[in-house]
Amino acid sequence: MGAPRIMIIDDEQIVGNMAKMHLTKEGFEVETFLSATPALERLEQAHFDVVVTDLKMKGVDGMEVLRTVKRKHPKIKVIMITAFAHLNTSIEAFRGEVFDFFPKPFKIKDFVASIHRALGLQAKEA
Amino acid sequence: MKIRHLLAISGVLTIGLIVLILVFASRDMGAVVAKLRFVEVADDLNASLLEMRLAEKNYFLFSDDAALGAITAGVTRADQTLEQLRPEILHATGPGNVSTLRGHLAEYARIAVETAASHARDPEHEEALREAGRRVREFSARLVRAEREDVHRIIAASRQGLFLSFMVVLVLAVLAGPLVFVRILRSLRRVVDLAHSIAEGRFRHIEGVFPNDELGTVLRAMNAMSDELRSRENELLQAKKLASLGTLTAGVAHEITNPLNNISMLAETFDTLYDDLGRAEHIDFVRKIAGESERIRQIVLGLLNFSKPKQADPREAELNEVIRGTMRLVGNMLDVSGIEVELRLAEGLPNVYVDENQIYQVLVNVITNAIQSMEGVEARKRRLVVTTFQDEASGVVAVELRDTGKGIPAEHLPHVFDPFFSTKGVGGTGLGLSVSYGIIKNHGGRIRAANAPDGGAALTVELPAYHADKEENDGRTKDHDH
Repeated sequence: MGAPRIMIIDDEQIVGNMAKMHLTKEGFEVETFLSATPALERLEQAHFDVVVTDLKMKGVDGMEVLRTVKRKHPKIKVIMITAFAHLNTSIEAFRGEVFDFFPKPFKIKDFVASIHRALGLQAKEA
Repeated sequence: MKIRHLLAISGVLTIGLIVLILVFASRDMGAVVAKLRFVEVADDLNASLLEMRLAEKNYFLFSDDAALGAITAGVTRADQTLEQLRPEILHATGPGNVSTLRGHLAEYARIAVETAASHARDPEHEEALREAGRRVREFSARLVRAEREDVHRIIAASRQGLFLSFMVVLVLAVLAGPLVFVRILRSLRRVVDLAHSIAEGRFRHIEGVFPNDELGTVLRAMNAMSDELRSRENELLQAKKLASLGTLTAGVAHEITNPLNNISMLAETFDTLYDDLGRAEHIDFVRKIAGESERIRQIVLGLLNFSKPKQADPREAELNEVIRGTMRLVGNMLDVSGIEVELRLAEGLPNVYVDENQIYQVLVNVITNAIQSMEGVEARKRRLVVTTFQDEASGVVAVELRDTGKGIPAEHLPHVFDPFFSTKGVGGTGLGLSVSYGIIKNHGGRIRAANAPDGGAALTVELPAYHADKEENDGRTKDHDH
C-alpha cells in the first residue's frame, strides 16, 4: 500500500492549502475541495483513509458528508472542523461517529496529530 | 360636573317626576270618584223631589191633605240621605252647597206643614209652597250639573297634566340625553384619534380644553402615555438594534472565525515551515494575513456602524447600494442558513433620501424574519429574492423581499406591525416590525406585508424618490414628525 490518502473539504481555500502543506510534509497524499458535491463524487473514484470536512457549507453540508461517508465507506475516518463551536453541534457530530472535532481557530500541530491517530500511526514528535 | 353625578341626577329626576305624576293622578281620581258618588246620591234625591212635586200637584188639583204628609216624609228621607253623606263626598261637593240644599228642603217641609195646618186654601201659602218646591228642585239640579261639569273638568285637567308630564320627560330625554352622550362621544373620539396616531408611530398630544370629569382624566392619562411612549421610542430603536445584533452574532462569529482561523493557520505554517517556503511564498503568506485581517476589520466596522446609537442622519443614497450594504452585513448569516439569495436590482432608479443605518436596520430585521421563517423548509428550497423597482404610478422607489418560508397566516397579517405582536414565543420581542414601521414612516415611506401566491412572505418597503432640486424633500425626512 502507498502513502495514506487524506481528503480535505472546506470552502475557505487557505484551510485546504495550509493543511495540505503540512500533511504532504508528513508524507501523506492530500486532495482539497471547496465544496462537498465534487468531493463526494471523487470519493467514488479514489480511495481515501481520512476525510476532513467543514461543517457549515453552501449546498451539501458537513453533516451530510459525514452520513454519506459512514454509509458508503464505513472504514474512512471523518474529522470535522467548523467555525460554529456550539456545544450541541459537537455532540451531534460525535454521535454521528466523527473521529475528531476541531472548532476554528485550531492549531495545525493538533490537527496533524489527530490525523496520525486516525491512521493508527504514532505522531512524530515536533 | 362628573358624568356619574349627571347620570345620578337624571335618574333621581326621572323617578321624582314619576312619583309626582302618580300623586297627582291618584288625587284627581279620588276627587272624580267622590263627585260621581255625590251625583248618584243627587240622582236619588231628584227622584224623591220629583215625587214631592207630584204630591204637591195632587194637593193643588185634588185638595188631598195626605199629599202634604208625603212631602214632609220625602223631605225627611232626603235630609237623612244628605246628612249621612260620607265626609269625602261632602268635602268634594262643598259643605256649603249641601247645607244650602238642606236649608231649602227644610223650608219646603216647613211651608208644607204650615199649609196643612191652615186647613184653608190660602193662595199665599199655596204660592209659597210651589215656590219652595221649585227652589229645591232647581238648586238640586244646578248642583248635579255643576258636579258633572267638575268631573269633566278634573278628567280634562288630569289628561292635560299627564300629557304635560310626558312632554317634560320627553324634552328632558331629548335635551339632556344627547348632552351627556355628545360629551362622552366627543371625548372618546379624541381618545380614538390619539390611539390611531400612536399606532402609526406619531406620539402627539390631545389639544384643547379637557372636561372636568372622568373623560378629562382619561384624556390627561392618554397624553401622559403619549409622552412616555415618545421618550421611549429612541430607547426602543437602540434596544431593537442591539436585539438584532444578537441575532446577527451567530453569523458574525462564523464570519470572523474563518479569517481568524486563516490567519492562525498562515502564521503557524509561516513559523513551522519557514525554511521549506521560498521568498515569494513568504511574501504571499504575509499578504494573505493582511488580507484576512482586512476581512475582519470590514466585518467589525460594519457591526460597529450598525450598533452605534446615532441621531437620524439622512442623506441622498442609491437604494441598490443600501441593499448591497445590507447584504454585506447579513450575507454570511444567509449563507450559513443555506439560503440562496437572488438580487434583482433595477437600473436607473431615482435616489432616495434616507438614513442608511436605519434602513439597514429595517432590512436586517426583515431578512432575519425571513431566515427564521425558512428554518423548517427543505434546504434547496430556501430562497430570498430581493427586487428593487420604481412604481410608475406613484413614482416611489421600492424594494420587495420575498422568501420561501412559512408565510404569514391571514389572521396575523393586519397585526404584524403592531408593537409586541410576535409569533415566535419566547424568542421574539414583537418589536422588530413595529420599529421598522416607525422608521419607514419617518422616512415618508410605507412598509407592507403580504403573502406570495406560491407561499412565503413578501415585505415591501416604499420610499419617496428624492430629487435634489426639490427642497420639500428636506426636513420631512430629517426628523420625526413629533
